[in-house]
Order: sequence, then structure tokens, then C-alpha cells
Amino acid sequence: MDPTQMGLAMIGAGIAIGVAGLGTGVAQGQVGAAAVGATAENPKMFGKGMILMVLPETIVILGFVVAFLIMNA
Amino acid sequence: MLRPEEMTRAVVVGSIESLDVTIECLYELGVLHLIDFTEQDEDFKIGQPLARASDASQKLLKLRSMIRALSIDSHKPSERLAASEIRKTLDQALVTLDLNTSKKAEARQRIQSLIRDKESEIKVLEPFAQFGIPVEDYEGFETIFSSVGTCRADPESALRSKLASVEVLKDLRKGDLAVAVFARVEDRSEVTRILAEHGFQESKLPKVTGDPSKVIERNRADIKGLEEDLARTESDLEAIRKKFADLIIASEEDLSIEVMKAETPLRIATSTNSFVIDGWLPAAKVEELQASLNSLCCGLAFVETLLEEEGDEPPVLLKNPKPVKPFEFFIDLVSTPKYDEVDPTIVLFLTFPLFFGFMIGDLGFGLGLACLGAFMRLKLKDFPDLQKLGTIVLAGGIMASLFGLFVFAEAFGVPFHPPEAHPDEHSWESVANIPIHPLLDKMVDIKEMLALSLLAGWVHLTLGFVLGFVNHIRHDRKHAFAKVAWLLILLGLFIEIMYIAGGATGTSGFVNDTVLAWVPDADTSVAGINVSITALAFIVAGVIGLSLTEGPMALSEVIGLFTNLVSYTRLAALAVGKGAMALAFNTMLFPLIFESHNIGIAIAGVLALFVTQMFFVFFLGALSAGIQAIRLNYVEFFLKFFEGGGKEFSPLRYLRRHSVATK
Repeated sequence: MDPTQMGLAMIGAGIAIGVAGLGTGVAQGQVGAAAVGATAENPKMFGKGMILMVLPETIVILGFVVAFLIMNA
Repeated sequence: MLRPEEMTRAVVVGSIESLDVTIECLYELGVLHLIDFTEQDEDFKIGQPLARASDASQKLLKLRSMIRALSIDSHKPSERLAASEIRKTLDQALVTLDLNTSKKAEARQRIQSLIRDKESEIKVLEPFAQFGIPVEDYEGFETIFSSVGTCRADPESALRSKLASVEVLKDLRKGDLAVAVFARVEDRSEVTRILAEHGFQESKLPKVTGDPSKVIERNRADIKGLEEDLARTESDLEAIRKKFADLIIASEEDLSIEVMKAETPLRIATSTNSFVIDGWLPAAKVEELQASLNSLCCGLAFVETLLEEEGDEPPVLLKNPKPVKPFEFFIDLVSTPKYDEVDPTIVLFLTFPLFFGFMIGDLGFGLGLACLGAFMRLKLKDFPDLQKLGTIVLAGGIMASLFGLFVFAEAFGVPFHPPEAHPDEHSWESVANIPIHPLLDKMVDIKEMLALSLLAGWVHLTLGFVLGFVNHIRHDRKHAFAKVAWLLILLGLFIEIMYIAGGATGTSGFVNDTVLAWVPDADTSVAGINVSITALAFIVAGVIGLSLTEGPMALSEVIGLFTNLVSYTRLAALAVGKGAMALAFNTMLFPLIFESHNIGIAIAGVLALFVTQMFFVFFLGALSAGIQAIRLNYVEFFLKFFEGGGKEFSPLRYLRRHSVATK
């Protein structure tokens, strides 16, 4: 692969994981605030709150996989 | 394992004379989950509390007020008192305590409020002491009135220019100006207006007589005397506390249990001559209960087991072997499983440490975590939840050490041997030559780790669907078959992923040669991707099955299943991320330590390394690995089968911490 292509691939990988991370952050911030509120009112909500809280994490994992595939292509 | 303790609906019936003993017996055994009696009819009414309830409640009330008066709610008795001892001494002690404590506590309160009053008088009078006007002379005139208080700005010139006759006294104190204004009654509104413009705040003088400074002096002397009284009362209370605190706390516990027992009849059905206690108990305990009733009630009370009725929902008591029990903590965090649901604790016991260990994968950090877990398990006996968590951390730590030792061959982020590609990287070789070489290198074999993660995901999710099938098959065949359809789709996805990977990784090569050896090597091209015919067939069969059982809407979740599978790559992602973080800190700080040849810089480097490793890699790493390991179970795994919402088994029983039961 010539260096320009390599560089573009790296930028692509960076965008893939970076933007996916941002998306996760935005989603998780909102869910997390609500989950903490619910847990404060009823500690039994902790487990359910945590499930909802970590759901958006899959987005960044997908970003990671895509970035990895780009880097190895 | 997998199933909760088997419960039997049972009633305990007996003659009303034996009610007291029966209740005692039920609390001692702690096996009966009572169902509250609510439907009264002509024959059966809700029972009356036992005779001793009212006496015990009264004593309990007194004890609790004493606990407040002596502020010993968090006192922990040095030793546990026998219940018989408590009952023998309590009556006598209560008489003494009642006389002393309440009187002393009242006296303390009275003295405290007097001191507060005197102090507030001083606070009000202090600013005006300089004026030397007796307190009673500020009011009571026919033609003159006074305004006393503090101003933010000096109002004197404004007052004097506007009013013909006015007297202003002022004294500057700590930024505020204390003022006393005397003026004619007819000028009152003008004075109020001018003062308001200067930020006036009125002070309400206390109803005392005499020179303010004298009053202040007198009050200070009074306070001194009162404080001495207070100290005396406090020391008297302290003496009572020392002598009786253990007894008070222990008897409060004993009496609470007594009252709880004595009020149990309020939850059961009684008639003129008999009682009926309805409830659930573990099937294995029926005989034990009958034997105890026989020996204690002399044949006046019996256990009858009943057949389960439609709509009955037995309470759930999870049944797991001892090493698995701490993992019930994770189940409690979500919800108690229903009685006819599979209890997934054993799966958590197997997968959590495995996932956690793979993500940490470091001998040093693993041993550190194992020590932390062992410490929590041994030392935090008062916090059962933290103790369970300690056991979980211990298991995870041991697994992480094993992965670190045999798979990744590294400790504290430093490999045992430098990787082949970077022979000059720092390694433990400079300390000792450990004869173990890594099976996987976190920085090199990322593909291999991704494939391993996907394999783990496939096994885990398949297990989830199998458990879902087991949960549904007995009462809802349609949903049970939907789980089979999901299994087919999952298998199709997995075959396709492995087909594309081919022999690129050891894992996919191994899977293709063993588990998937039967898959024929036929493919077709869909949108430029090679799709295995077998995979396609499974997915299509699954999709058809799914639309027949769960309806076409369920198809939208097929993509979700793919995400679920990919979600397991977080196992690899976290392991790589943690490895990269440790490597980055080591690369930055090792040259400082080993190559600077300056002892000061070397020590600073060691400290920085310790802090970064401890904080970023050890604590944050363990936290995120723990959360991700449990998340894979909660989200990807549980949602395939787990409903929860079961009723927790809470039998009639009590817990003594400060007292010991006696026959």
C-alpha cells in the first residue's frame, strides 16, 4: 500500500473509532444521568439501570471492530 | 443448581393453646414463608397479638427513647448477652434507668435551651452596649420613639438634615454600623424611610432591664454556671451509658424479636379454638418442621401439605453449591428469577471469572486483585454484600493470574520475554528467565483474540437461547420454538464469520476443522461478500421460523443478534487496550528509571510508574473489566431467557447480633 493510501486508511480508522466513541458518550451520558436518578430513588433499580447504562457501549465496540478491519485491510 | 429450592404449599394447623409455642417453633426453624391472611369470614378472623406483646412493646418504646437520649444507636456491645440474662436484669434496670435517664436527659435539654437563650440575648445586646442606655429606656415614651438596629451606611447626616429634632447614637462594629435613633413619634414614617435607604435591619431587644453591658456580664456568668451543670449532667449520662449501654442495645434487640413474634398472629387466621398458618416451605423441610412441632406442641399442631393451585406463585430460594453462592449477588442486583425459571448463577460462576481473567490477563495485577478479594472476603464480615463481591474479585483475580501466566506471559504490563518483533523492549528477562512463552501477544495477535472473543460469544449466546428454550417449553411452546429459530440464525451468522475468517486465525481454522468440519465448502456472492451456502440456509430457515413464531416484527432484531455477537469483541478490545496502556506507561517511564543514571529521577520515575499503573491499569482496568464482564452476562446473555420478577423467599425468622437465644 502506498503511503497516501495508508494515511487515508489510518484517518478512516481514527474517524470510525472516534465518532463511535462520541456517539456512545452522548447516549451513555443521558442514560447514565437517568439511571443514577432512578437508583437514588430506589436502590433496587441499580441492576436494571446498569443494563440500560451500558447498552450504548456496543456502538464504540463496533467502531473498534471497523477501525481494526480498516487497519488490516 | 439451575433450579431454585423446591417449595411446598403447606398449612400449620393446631389448637389455639399451642399457638404461642408453634410461633416460637416456626421462628426457631426459619423455614416457613408466611402468606398473610386477609379474607376473614364468620369462623376465621385475623388473630390477636399474644398477651405479652403490649408489655414488650411498652418496654421497647422506653428503651428506644433511652437509646436516643443517650445517643447510643450505633453502640456495639463488647459481648453478646444471653436472652435469659437480659430478661432477668431488664425489669430492675429499667426502673433505675427510667428514673435517672429521662430526668437527666430532660435536665440536659433544659440547660441547653437556657444557654441558647442567654447567648442570643448577648448577641443582640452586644452592639448597643457602648451606648450605655439601660435596655428598658429604649421604649415606653409618649412623644418619643426609638429604632435600634444595624445599618450598612451611616444615616446620621440624612436624618439630621431632614428632621428638626433627632438623636443618633452609632458604633462601628465589624463592617456593620450599630445605630440607635430617637425621634418624635410624628416623624416615625420619615425616619423609617431614611433608615431603609441606608440598609437598616431592626434588632429586637430582649425584655430585660439594666445597663446592656451589665446584662451581658451577668449572662456570661450565668452561662458559665450552666455549662458546669451541663458537664455534670453529661458525665452522669456518660456513667449511665458506660454501665447500661450493652444491656440497652442487647435488650432492644431481644424485645424487638419478642414483639415481632408476639404480633405474628396478626398475619394468620384464628377461630375460637384453632389457628391456621398458611405458607410455603422448602419441600425438604416438611418433616423437620413436623418433628419439631411434635416434640414442642405435644401433638396439638400439625403440618399439612397442599397441592399447588393454578396461579400460585411460590417464593424463590436460590439453591447453589457453596462456591457458586456468592455469584447470586449478581442475580440479586437485577431481579429474583421466577420460580419456574432457570437460575443462571452457575453460568455466571463459570463465565464471569473467565471473561474478567481474559480482559485483565496479567499475573501481577491478577495476584493483586486476588489479594484484594481475599482481604474483602476475610475482613468485611459485617458487610455481606461486599464480602460476596470479595469472593467474586478473588475468583476473577485468580483467573486473571492464570491467563497472565500461561496465555499472555506477562506481569505488571511487562512481558516475561521481549516480543520477537521488538527484541529490545523491556521484559522480565533482565530479572529472571521464566520458561513460559506467550501463546498470545496482546499487541500482535489482535486478530486471534477477536476470533477467540467471537467464539466465546457464540457459545455464551447459544447457551442463552438453550436456557430460553428450557424456560418456555413447558408453558409456551411457540416461544420455545422461536428460541430454536434464533439458534439457527446465530449458528448461520457464526458459520459465515468463521467462513470469511477461514484459516486467517488459529481459532477460526480450529473451529472450521472441528466444530464446523461438516460445513461444505460452497459459497455464493452477495453484494461482493462471499456467503457460505450453509450459513445462508441456516439464516433463511431461522428467519422463516421466527416470522412464524414471533411474527415479522421480530425480524428487525436479527441485526441486533449480530451486534450481540460482535459485542463480545470487547473481550479482546479491553485486553488490548489495557495492554497498550501499560506498555505506553512502561515505555515512557522505564528509560527514566534505568537509563537516567540519576537516583532522584529514577525514584521519581518509579513513583510515577507506580501511581499510573495502580490507578489507570489496576483500578480502572479492574473496574472496566468487571463492568464489561457482567454486562456481557446481563445484556447479551440474560436478555435471551431471563425474565425475573420472582418473589424472594423470606421465612419467619430473626437475626440476633447482640444477644444469644436461650431455651
